[in-house]
Amino acid sequence: MIKISDVSFGYSGTENQVFRRANLQIGSGEFVLVCGPTGSGKSTFLKIFNGLAPHFTAGTLSGTIQIDGQDITGRQPHELAGLVGYVNQQPEGSFVADTVEDEIAYSLEQLGFAPSEMRKRVEHFANLLGVDRILKQNLMSLSGGQQQRVAIASALAAGQKVLVLDEPTSALDPAAADEIVDLLMNLAHQQGITVLLAEHRLERVISKADAVIVVNGDSSVNKFLPRDAFKEYRLVPPIVELSQKLGWQPAALDPQEAGNRSISPSQWAAKTEPSLGETLLSAEGIVVNYGETKAVQGISLQAQAGEVVVVMGENGSGKSSLIWALQGIGDMKSGQISTAWGDPRSMSDQRRLEVIALVPQKAADLLFLNTLADELAESDRVAGVAETTTATIFAKFAGRVDPKIHPRDMSAGQQLALVLALQLVKDASIVLLDEPTRGLDYAAKHRLAEVIAELQSEGKTLILASHDIEFVALVANRIVVLQDGQIVTQGSPADILSHEGKLPTQVAAALRTPGLISVSQVLS
Amino acid sequence: MRLLIAKRADAVHPGSWWLLGLALAVAAGLTSSIWIALSICVFAVAVARLLRTDAPWARSLGFYLTLATGIVVLRLGFRVLFNSGLATENIAFRLKDIELNLGFGPGVHLLGSVSWLTLQSAMLDGLRLAAIVLSVALANTLANPRKLLRATPGALYEVATAISVAINLAPQLIESLNRVRRARKLRGRSKKIGALAGTIIPVLEDTLDRSLSLAASMDARGFGRRGSLSSYQQTATRVLSLTSLAVFAIGIYLLFSDPALAMLAASVLALGVAEVLIVVKISSLKHVRTRYSSQTINALDLALWLASAAVIVFSVSGFGGVQ
Amino acid sequence: MKSIVSKITVGFAGVISLLMFIWPLLIPATATNQAHLAQGIFIGLMPVILVLVLVEFSSGSIGSKQLAVLGVLIALNAVVRVLGAGTSGIETAFFLIILGAYVFGSGFGFVLGSASLLVSALLTGGIGPWLPFQMMAAGLVGLGAGTLPKFDSRWLKLATLSIYAMVAAFVYGSLMTMWNWPFLAGSGGGLGYSAGAPIAENLTHFFQYELISGGFLWDAGRAVTTTVLIWLTAPALLATLKRAAGRAGFEKN
Repeated sequence: MIKISDVSFGYSGTENQVFRRANLQIGSGEFVLVCGPTGSGKSTFLKIFNGLAPHFTAGTLSGTIQIDGQDITGRQPHELAGLVGYVNQQPEGSFVADTVEDEIAYSLEQLGFAPSEMRKRVEHFANLLGVDRILKQNLMSLSGGQQQRVAIASALAAGQKVLVLDEPTSALDPAAADEIVDLLMNLAHQQGITVLLAEHRLERVISKADAVIVVNGDSSVNKFLPRDAFKEYRLVPPIVELSQKLGWQPAALDPQEAGNRSISPSQWAAKTEPSLGETLLSAEGIVVNYGETKAVQGISLQAQAGEVVVVMGENGSGKSSLIWALQGIGDMKSGQISTAWGDPRSMSDQRRLEVIALVPQKAADLLFLNTLADELAESDRVAGVAETTTATIFAKFAGRVDPKIHPRDMSAGQQLALVLALQLVKDASIVLLDEPTRGLDYAAKHRLAEVIAELQSEGKTLILASHDIEFVALVANRIVVLQDGQIVTQGSPADILSHEGKLPTQVAAALRTPGLISVSQVLS
Repeated sequence: MRLLIAKRADAVHPGSWWLLGLALAVAAGLTSSIWIALSICVFAVAVARLLRTDAPWARSLGFYLTLATGIVVLRLGFRVLFNSGLATENIAFRLKDIELNLGFGPGVHLLGSVSWLTLQSAMLDGLRLAAIVLSVALANTLANPRKLLRATPGALYEVATAISVAINLAPQLIESLNRVRRARKLRGRSKKIGALAGTIIPVLEDTLDRSLSLAASMDARGFGRRGSLSSYQQTATRVLSLTSLAVFAIGIYLLFSDPALAMLAASVLALGVAEVLIVVKISSLKHVRTRYSSQTINALDLALWLASAAVIVFSVSGFGGVQ
Repeated sequence: MKSIVSKITVGFAGVISLLMFIWPLLIPATATNQAHLAQGIFIGLMPVILVLVLVEFSSGSIGSKQLAVLGVLIALNAVVRVLGAGTSGIETAFFLIILGAYVFGSGFGFVLGSASLLVSALLTGGIGPWLPFQMMAAGLVGLGAGTLPKFDSRWLKLATLSIYAMVAAFVYGSLMTMWNWPFLAGSGGGLGYSAGAPIAENLTHFFQYELISGGFLWDAGRAVTTTVLIWLTAPALLATLKRAAGRAGFEKN
């Protein structure tokens, strides 16, 4: 179905090629997982199949790409719309219509289908994707999973033979994500549609895919069978990492496969408890309302020096509102917050910078200058500290980065490091991180975990909002679980993330060993 | 009951409401009778009130009413203030005559004696503009702007899409503006660049990212496919565009040249408008696009069209006579 | 803009739309009676000319990427305008129109100018008979900004943009006052226009009207705001827009 020969791609203005002389073939009805570290160019790789690269990314493409016997090299996306369907990360960001049926019909309209044929197709694909009962509904009223189904239906309605999806499950909760992956597998195996799926939570897909394409970031692109992929690829899901550490042959790909095996007590260790200092932050009865919405309903929380507290919970459970309220800037209707240095709500913005650091969900919101060097210098100036202070902190977190780079061209991990450095310029002792693992791959998450451990060892207090279970298992000392703005459980990670807890990690679910929740505990 | 009627009104093609609104506006513009202008005001407000839904665009009727009242008051006030013509007969009231020197031109006379005639003509002028505003308000209240955007002809499809993209982005923009404003405080005070750049750049970057990814997804689904016009059609649109403008120029000249030629001027201008409509029609042919749910025309639409036509014919034919 | 024909068409349309603003200065004494007929007719005619120009600009030259940027700038403009509307004398719509047009060209500028005013009217319920005139005037402001010479020097660039902003703010304001002048001041004596009088006399009346009605203050407020906003944001905004254009592999229209 797809054949690419000698395909190379490089962004204009840089000499590095994202990939060089790639050759591979993908068969009809194959379900292919595309993976690679962030910034490796896996998104770009997906975009060459419908012309979005180079037409929407700039850069130069060479070589030939054939789909269904046609040479599509150099064609515009709208010319390929009938051949390749494309779905991106956030469905709500790509919707063009108001209602489900209009959205599914959009490409049919653009391609000039006759109205009667359109109605037939809208009905057929709505049925296939299970959205036939909500055809008349407004898109914004749908759940994330339903939205993604609609996006897939509209990408296939014109009879496209190839479906390309760029991290379609990243905004979904685990159950909805699993449904979407199963659905895609069925589309491939039963409808004969060739599906290319990029995903960095590999554990969701790896056991269902027919093949894995690894875009490695060193300009190589290779196709493997799922089981062979991890011999080449360093960024592995927890279960595979576990198999590798324990030398299991063949490697287990998901918790079910691993479940038949066991681990001896000598092969793992409990997490070491940190030594805690004085209480740096204490909050009583925090209430946050936005108009009618009650975001946080009376939460109390203490955190000590050297402690990492993680606030978990579904989207909309109030994590973010709580974090912002603790910092002192966010809205708060009632409640008391005190730190070892006073009430943050009565501090000036400038003073707060010396006490509490906060990295928002969208770290880039803080960035507005044209180069990394400018941002670092601006930070020194505002804080009134010696030149290169911020640069030194940044280098500690992120290593060497070209100071002339545009901050928005840096990877998500580097942006996070930059904003953390900006926030720690005055060596604040309380550090709040709102969903810090968004957009990070396994390597970047490990790096972040190291940074967190380092800050912790310096005696700082860290409070994180996160729903990334595996990451939380790596860093947390204490977990607070929120639901509808209230604390429903709190306790140690070993309890909450265990196989009997509310939010089991993969390792906990696979090995069902009390106290063992993270691969990092396994001794190699 | 009212909601039931409103629901029926919503089923009408949005263009029909605009047609009626514009017809009423034309009638208001042409009339020389205070009573006709006033009845148009009353009619427009009554219909809009009776048929409006509770959609966001239907909530601004109050604003338009305030505006229309303001216009009438302003017009009367201006006319009394800039009265200058020192009326000698039929005096309504006398105020102190003030001469104001602005440093250039002749001195400006303010206030003074105001005649009934002045008041009457000021009232007419004010009511006329108020009636035009309320006619537009009628259309704006009853026509669903999203449906109207969807019904735009192919020649304006790109512009209409840009506008609907903008309308969809606006709420997200406000959200991202609030988010960035809050985030900015985290950096303490910033001296170098005003707070403005620090707010507007992240918002713009964020929105541009979203919008470009929306554009990518639209393009990937076939947006931007177009055929090409034959060279004959291209020539035709060019010639028609240019001649329509020439026709407008002639029409405007005729309009102001001789009172007797007013009807001729109107017909010449109508010819120009027809030419533009043909240009739009031909330019729309380049799109291969079809419509999934096209707005249907029902009996109510036909009734509205007839009413609009009657209003226009009546007011245009009445114009000569009243003058 | 592709061909010389389309330049002529747009130029011609510009002249005719200007006529529909400034006719009170030009008409002969015999036309007094037709004046209010003309007011009414022009309200209907202006949208037609607007459509003609928009068709001219959109025929083939607006791709999905231009459209995305256009959508963002229109939305931002509308939002900024809605936010600025509470503070009298502060007019925030123009700096984005001028900067956007400066980066992306005249055709883009025209569409950006006219659509910005339309969308902010849609969002605030400010649709009225003045809207087509505002759209045309703002479109012309954008059209003009697209033809400004491009300098490499930061200071020359800022100077050009600010001078243009000043002029554009006053021209736009005068045009809109000129539109409501016959409605509010009427014709004949006082500060109204008098048909058939020499242009100089009518202009004098017009400026007196501008001063007394406060329109002049409003224009001055607009000119200052726009210029200050350009000084504050142009370097950063131009860089951001150019980066977006580069990143998306833009070809300018």
